[in-house]
Amino acid sequence: MNLDYNIRYTAKNTYENKASSALWQFLIIPENNESQELLQDDFTNSLNIPVERSINGYDFPTYRIRPKQTFEEIEFTADFKLIKKVENIFEKVSQEFSEKEYEELNSLKFKAENDVFLRYTDLTTLHQEVDFKFDKSISLFQNLQELNSWIKKEFIFKTNVTDIDTDLSHILEIKQGVCQDFTHLFIAIAKQFGIPSRYVSGYLHQGNGYFGDSQMHAWVECCLPNSGWIGFDPTNNLIAAENHIKVAHGKDYSDCPPLKGVVFSSGKNETEYTVQVSSQQQQ
Amino acid sequence: MKSNNDNPTFESYNRDPKLYDEIFDENDNVRQTYKTLFELYSEHSAQDFGRLNNKAKSSFFNQGITFQVYGDHEIKEKIFPFDLFPRIIDPEEWEVIEKGVLQRSKALNAFLWDLYHDKNIIKEGIVPLDLISSSENYLDQMNGFDPPGGIYNHISGTDLIKHSDGKYYVLEDNIRCPSGVSYVICNRTALKRALFGVFNHYQAHTVTDYAENLLEILETVKPKGVDVPNCVVITPGIYNSAYYEHSYLAKAMGVELVEGRDLFVENDFVYMKTINGPEKVDVIYRRIDDQFIDPLEFKPDSALGVPGLMASYKKGNVCLVNAPGTGVADDKAIYTYMPEIIKYYLDEEPILNNVPTYHCSRPDELKYVLENVHNLVIKPVDEAGGYGISIGNRLSKDEIEEVKKTIQASPRKYIAQPIMSLSVHPTYIEENECFEPRHVDLRTFTLLGAGKDFVLKGGLTRVALQKGNLIVNSSQGGGSKDTWVLKNNQ
Repeated sequence: MNLDYNIRYTAKNTYENKASSALWQFLIIPENNESQELLQDDFTNSLNIPVERSINGYDFPTYRIRPKQTFEEIEFTADFKLIKKVENIFEKVSQEFSEKEYEELNSLKFKAENDVFLRYTDLTTLHQEVDFKFDKSISLFQNLQELNSWIKKEFIFKTNVTDIDTDLSHILEIKQGVCQDFTHLFIAIAKQFGIPSRYVSGYLHQGNGYFGDSQMHAWVECCLPNSGWIGFDPTNNLIAAENHIKVAHGKDYSDCPPLKGVVFSSGKNETEYTVQVSSQQQQ
Repeated sequence: MKSNNDNPTFESYNRDPKLYDEIFDENDNVRQTYKTLFELYSEHSAQDFGRLNNKAKSSFFNQGITFQVYGDHEIKEKIFPFDLFPRIIDPEEWEVIEKGVLQRSKALNAFLWDLYHDKNIIKEGIVPLDLISSSENYLDQMNGFDPPGGIYNHISGTDLIKHSDGKYYVLEDNIRCPSGVSYVICNRTALKRALFGVFNHYQAHTVTDYAENLLEILETVKPKGVDVPNCVVITPGIYNSAYYEHSYLAKAMGVELVEGRDLFVENDFVYMKTINGPEKVDVIYRRIDDQFIDPLEFKPDSALGVPGLMASYKKGNVCLVNAPGTGVADDKAIYTYMPEIIKYYLDEEPILNNVPTYHCSRPDELKYVLENVHNLVIKPVDEAGGYGISIGNRLSKDEIEEVKKTIQASPRKYIAQPIMSLSVHPTYIEENECFEPRHVDLRTFTLLGAGKDFVLKGGLTRVALQKGNLIVNSSQGGGSKDTWVLKNNQ
């Protein structure tokens, strides 16, 4: 069975003073992978500036816009159509405990191959002990499920208490945050146990017919020796599946912000964006 | 000291028997290679050398060949002191150096390819994974990427010293943006101007062919589908300490010298703004560090780079020289594995010696280092230009304790090596109006391209002008000497 998705991303940048030149890069295009197929994408802007297609440093496709006139305000709209495979993740993963999986996890070969996603970054470094402990008598997957529900249980989703630079010490102290904070926390704990983990940026489908303000979502992918990369969404205590539409991954948020720009302007600027995701079951 | 006394400007030259003197042997006789030079110099008086020294100095000032020293508070513009007594390397000795530095450059290139692809040397446990994963210079963006021609370190600067045993040792491999080659050429010009009557008694290889070879190397790594590549040199600008060199190389190659703001990226191609409109650029010799080349990908506040450059590079539309991410392999901790790296990739024995090194990251070696600080040189693994180096036998008791504390705070950041006694070479000392022995090293320049390589037959002999000082970097007040590689024996 498959799901048809329509995703709309809109953004509006406003500048206090006229900006003379800029380059924006949008990392918002759903990835083509085993579980999702991008059928159509369309990107327009209020100044009718031609759209360039490029890639980010990790080879994920991007849009680029380079205005040639001065501007104070610009709006962007992206529309995507895609098909998402509905599959049972639990059938794919190895849930049974196996000593071999632990051995492989600790092998030099596995560590070297996944080195990039075992490295700590500023946003995924723990400076204090956390209450979560891995249990070596159950499988790695089960441990990560425990971690997923531990975060959901211990932390409260709350916007405007953290921002993109908030480090984990602060999040552990206030026990509040948003999806990217919980994702960073999950990554840090899983890496500490030696599980390669990466930050995923994407869209979450929150229910059919759901409209209104929404944001891009973040979750974690962990590489397990017996199962490959599996997505965990600690904000919702979910395994990432047909409701999670992946855009890109990186070591942490700083590798995959939806919008990056180099703008020559003085004064304040503001970006507002919304995301709408709707789906239809294929007949 | 009879041979010294023949020459008035060498009257006060005191050979230290503990050090390797490049021109006097252990019996105080002038070595064969230097005999002609020594005789010719004895025709000049001390006053002559004083005059020649001033002439050479003003020639550098007039040409604007200066560099800057970064201090705590201010930046100073200085000339790089030029010494009147040239370094001479005979053909046999040079052959070993040339083969040795080329071997190292090739091994480092193979190592970089492996680190950014299969990582076999790590998986086989030859180089510890820690060294790579803790390196700030490893660029994830380069993972799995094939640079044009398979070349990462197109330009390498290898620093060598001659120890008291008379053998060359490699001190470090510089494969980010090694500088100094323009001084090699300026030194030759200045020496010829001041002392042509001496120079023409020797058959030395030319050094002015560096730029044409560099251009050829740049052209070997042109993007696919480009016939005659448009090459440029990109500089951080006039305030960079090596700006003179950037402008010299661009001029000598006959290519444009640009700053970041002169270039832009459109549809993943790089263009240069010219009065005739945009002109596509194919190969960029960049003298800007990795973190500053593209604000869209690296440091977002960098005004030195070109937004979007990295994507153009990864799409194969432009070649960056050296490749981003080479810094992971010229880490001073990686240096210590060079013998293993050479054997692993080339199946050859290292031609040049490595200085034995202790890693403070290893507990047993850390223990040794902490007990023997007074006999060791302590170096931070990630600083260039001689900053942060402590020489054990120059430290007071308190300073030694201070160094120990610093090491213990972050052992991974430090390595230690025995204090190598750099060879000494006669150097004109202005205050004393005579030649005195001073420590020297040698920076060589190696180029790697697709199917072509080149080692400059010459190099930058850097000299520590302060008596007894072992740090020869220009930023630490060193000078330099013209360096002659002979075509045949004298």
